[in-house]
Amino acid sequence: MGRAWVRPPRVRDNILKYLLVAPAVVVVAVTAIWPLIEAARLSFTVGRLNRPGSLEQYLGWENYVWAVMEEPAFWNSVWVTAAYTFLTVALTTILALALALLLAPGGRLRSGVQTLLILPFAMSPALIGVSFRFMFNPEFGLFDAFFGALIPPLANVSWLADPILAFAVCIMADVWGWIPFLTLVLIGGLISVPRETLEAAQIDGANGWRVFRDVTLPQLAPVLAVVVILKSIFSLKTFDQIFMLTNGGPGTATQTLSHYIYFNGMKYGQIGFAASVAWLMVIPMIFLTYAYAKLVFRKDQAQ
Amino acid sequence: MAEVILRNLTKRWGDVVGVDDQSLHIRDREFLVLLGPSGCGKTTTMRMIAGLEEPTSGEVWIGDRMVNQDLPKDRDVAMVFQNYGLYPHMSIFDNIAYPLRVRHVTKDEIRPRVEDAARKVELVEFLDRRPRALSGGQRQRVALARAIVRTPKVFLMDEPLSNLDAKLRVLMRAELKHLSHELMTTTVYVTHDQVEAMTLADRVAVMKDGIIQQLGTPDDIYNDPANMFVAGFIGSPAMNLIKGSIKDGDFVTAGGRRLTPTGGKENHSVVLGVRADDIRISDPGEGRLDVTIYAFENTGDSTFLTVQWGTQRIIARGGRHLRKEQGDVVSITMDPDHLYLFDPGSGSRIRN
Ligand SMILES: Nc1ncnc2c1ncn2[C@@H]1O[C@H](COP(=O)(O)OP(=O)(O)O)[C@@H](O)[C@H]1O
Ligand SMILES: [Mg+2]
Repeated sequence: MGRAWVRPPRVRDNILKYLLVAPAVVVVAVTAIWPLIEAARLSFTVGRLNRPGSLEQYLGWENYVWAVMEEPAFWNSVWVTAAYTFLTVALTTILALALALLLAPGGRLRSGVQTLLILPFAMSPALIGVSFRFMFNPEFGLFDAFFGALIPPLANVSWLADPILAFAVCIMADVWGWIPFLTLVLIGGLISVPRETLEAAQIDGANGWRVFRDVTLPQLAPVLAVVVILKSIFSLKTFDQIFMLTNGGPGTATQTLSHYIYFNGMKYGQIGFAASVAWLMVIPMIFLTYAYAKLVFRKDQAQ
Repeated sequence: MAEVILRNLTKRWGDVVGVDDQSLHIRDREFLVLLGPSGCGKTTTMRMIAGLEEPTSGEVWIGDRMVNQDLPKDRDVAMVFQNYGLYPHMSIFDNIAYPLRVRHVTKDEIRPRVEDAARKVELVEFLDRRPRALSGGQRQRVALARAIVRTPKVFLMDEPLSNLDAKLRVLMRAELKHLSHELMTTTVYVTHDQVEAMTLADRVAVMKDGIIQQLGTPDDIYNDPANMFVAGFIGSPAMNLIKGSIKDGDFVTAGGRRLTPTGGKENHSVVLGVRADDIRISDPGEGRLDVTIYAFENTGDSTFLTVQWGTQRIIARGGRHLRKEQGDVVSITMDPDHLYLFDPGSGSRIRN
């Protein structure tokens, strides 16, 4: 035993490297790849939880055709998800960028508050959902009272009972939860913009806005792109927050695709159909992930 | 074109003093070099002129205007940064054109002016490239072109040559000198390299610890240093500084050797300054003092002899064809017309 270890493991080196990555490969295979394949298989079956044997009963593309051609609820959740993604990505990015500019070294609000900032991000989305639900409670909600005092016509509305307002509350909760993390990422990006380029622009005669537009923003673009893509991926998958805050309601006004999949799969037991919708959702994800990977893992051509 | 006046300028960060109550009058069209070791406050002084750093107290005047309250963009200065500060996402053309664009110069006018500036620094064929596709020397020239593309009141240059290799530095130094004659614009140039200062400057301000030690022409600071710091900082090799005393008009080393006549009052504690150039080397017995060679260096165009007596070592320059060995004995004689005496405590010059 001892001797075997002492001998220089020349050949074994080759095997060792595979042994070392094996656990990671196994974990990914079991938790990500196998479920994906199994879901793909299920999406072509009748797949009803209450009907024994239906998980092996193949239907071809029927689930997909049904979702796309016959289900207004599917399209509703597609639009909800699209609007939700667009609005949350735009709002978080813009607000996080504004905050980052204020908080970055040389910004106007530079102080010790950056650590506090991360707090909302440390909360689980489900907790954010619950707390926002309480804050918009018509009887004792803090935000409800606040907005009522600020904009009198809103004093007597029941936020989560109104389709548009409930959607707005979901957006608010999401934006609130994501701003801190993205702000920190953007502060990091701003720090890596060489200070000399900003000072050179000032001396060349640019005012604050033009320094930002002509020099800061173009150099921040790669980080900004990562932020937008990453946030898009997370917005597309939003589930827990919606589940706790509105549970997709009122009606289906805030039903995102993830929520729609959950409802069909778990509540109605239509696993096959849910799996087909899940696979439809994979399509935009693949594009986004590909773009993300390309940006993050690209060979550094700078310098 | 304008003069630049600093009045009692001070910059402090808490306890750290960058610039300490300095006044300086830079004349119109003058090429003034701020020279000093790293950390002495050169960059800070320049950044206060540019408006990138706010003075703790004191005034900055450009022309006949007090500019303390003016933003950098309104001061009409151009600056070449140590790391060039080029815009990495813009082509060389756009880099050079940027100061014109933000000043709303018309398109028809921008192209000829950019091409003209690029021609002056010999960059015309690179206008379509990005900064990262250029070498250090070329980037440096882009920064220069961006500064000269308009006619600012003042040029500010912060160690513009320090990132170049030695050969290129000498080349660019000559180009800068040529360009500055052509442009005749007030220039403040920061460097820690005394050769750059000597060759480029109309006047040099030697700084140490936030304080200007001496302001004068290159001749002044080389031949008539105001204190021991300037004497030791200017010149390569550095001026020899020898501790001793004055007795009967002679300089006597700490070891009791009568080294050279200096004149002057009796003084039990002085420092004698003598440049390597002002020490004559002769055969043993023929000069004032016989010494042993500690090291012999031949640079090709001249030779340097580090010589020793007792524990004292000094460096002398020999002729190009002088050949000696370590351990040889030679005799040295100092040129009495080019000796400097300093007070060892304050470092200030003792003039007879
Ligand atoms: N932003 C700053 N905060 C604190 N100290 C600084 C700052 N900038 C410069 N200093 C200090 O001021 C002194 C002068 O710096 P600087 O002007 O950059 O020197 P130089 O350009 O002559 O090398 C140094 O001791 C430096 O550490
Ligand atoms: Mg400096």
